[in-house]
Amino acid sequence: MSAYLEYTLDKFTFKVASDRFYTPEGVWARADGDRVIVGVSDFFQQHNGDVAFAEVQEAGTAVAAGAPFATIETIKVDVELSCPVSGVISAVNEKLELEAEVINQDPYGDGWLASIDADAWPADQANLMTPEAYFAHMQVQAQAEAENL
Amino acid sequence: MPSLPQKKVGIVACSGEELAEGTVTRLAALKVLEELRPDDTVTICLPLFLAGGEGDRAFARFYPTIAVDGCALRCAARATEEFSGKPAAGVVVTEVAAQCGLGQIAGLRRLNAAGEQAVAETAATVADLVDTLLDKKWSRREGRFLDAEPVIEETAPAKSAASCACGTGIPVQTVQVNGENVTLIALPPLLEQFKQMGKRPSPETAAELLAQVQIYNDVPAELEAMYQETLAQAYALFCGAEEAAA
Amino acid sequence: MSQKVVIVPCSGIGKTYGTVSREAAYEVIEELRPDTSQLAALSMLVLGDENTRTAVAANPTITIDGCKLACATKMVQASGGRVAQEFAVLDVFRRNRKFKPQGIAELNEGGRLLASALAQEVAAAIDAIGQADDLPPAGGEDA
Repeated sequence: MSAYLEYTLDKFTFKVASDRFYTPEGVWARADGDRVIVGVSDFFQQHNGDVAFAEVQEAGTAVAAGAPFATIETIKVDVELSCPVSGVISAVNEKLELEAEVINQDPYGDGWLASIDADAWPADQANLMTPEAYFAHMQVQAQAEAENL
Repeated sequence: MPSLPQKKVGIVACSGEELAEGTVTRLAALKVLEELRPDDTVTICLPLFLAGGEGDRAFARFYPTIAVDGCALRCAARATEEFSGKPAAGVVVTEVAAQCGLGQIAGLRRLNAAGEQAVAETAATVADLVDTLLDKKWSRREGRFLDAEPVIEETAPAKSAASCACGTGIPVQTVQVNGENVTLIALPPLLEQFKQMGKRPSPETAAELLAQVQIYNDVPAELEAMYQETLAQAYALFCGAEEAAA
Repeated sequence: MSQKVVIVPCSGIGKTYGTVSREAAYEVIEELRPDTSQLAALSMLVLGDENTRTAVAANPTITIDGCKLACATKMVQASGGRVAQEFAVLDVFRRNRKFKPQGIAELNEGGRLLASALAQEVAAAIDAIGQADDLPPAGGEDA
């Protein structure tokens, strides 16, 4: 189990896994051998609510860093996700079809979205936020949300 | 920057489905949360609380909580006491209605006029309590305001505060004061914050640290000097450990 | 059917789902199946109210949970109740995607329609339970 950075605001605790990199929108990317696994952060799933549907482009699709690759529909919002890496989708999490709530239950583990054969992971990684940077960014977002309630 | 809990008041409503007064509690709590005191309150979801929601239970241990009940069964107050700690205050809709001379409250789904009035009165009562609780020091251990008359009956042993280890996310640290172990809520982020502000270990820093600790923990007046000495040592150790790790 | 199915909604206050669960439960007991269903408050069950515990012990129970945390289902089971069927608002939303609910104190139109759709499903479940209970037991008296 990877270590987490944790932030508590009121009764909510948000975790940031410290073994992966992040987009500001809360999509994470973690190298796994030759592939990169992607998913959404704990803050993302708590902020957007229970996932009703998660649709990811199918295996074999070429994706570009920064381009849409998936849509998550919760009871609150529809969110289009931008891919953190460039490459080809090698697999999509099968659980998403019938148990999309796995994203809420285990966003850093069983709730992964896709695995990607990345074209240039080192270059893409350099454009992503470190866990510490995302943690700080997430804290600001969480505080802003709490103040807007 | 460490996350330093802002003092807020938790509201737990019974939302009892079988009586219209249950609907009143729900709407009154939401009125306080969304309109009257949005910056000062947090909702505690009673079913999640009952089912073991650690975030909600920890919050109710850490912050003063108001139980809003529909009737004398006081499910919200009893649940809060059983799973977290004694609520700082309780409001019962039937009592509010009687005090205000309201008519019969009816309508499980769509409240009648008396029900709507009860919502307004209950929400106002809760909002006043929120203001009171934010101004006063509340002792979770003793279940009373520190300014009030001391409780005559034997004080129950202090319940252990929420801790990071159980996954609640509330940071705590146990220190020794006067030969006894004392668990201080929010001490780790306070130490971190002081370090980041560049405060060097000193008696003045220890006094400032004590003032901050007292926001989240009740410190008996007669032991303040000992607490300050303990905090001075804790901070010096913290700074030494940070420098060694750097 | 001599029994009245017990409906236990979660009534969670943190999200719109809780209000949907509550509204659906009311629609069932007040309009759709007033003679064959009854409400039970979750907190009274958990805190040991005798009448509530007796009702849950003696009758099949349908739980309506707002989300996948399934607080009502868990607590009914923990209190010794028999959950004949469990509903999650999220699942009903998946079957009625166009009814996007909003609001906790008061539901929007999408929420009211979702609650009605859920109530219809619960009513059908009550009928199914009633039919099953009317069948002669396979091996003798039910416990």
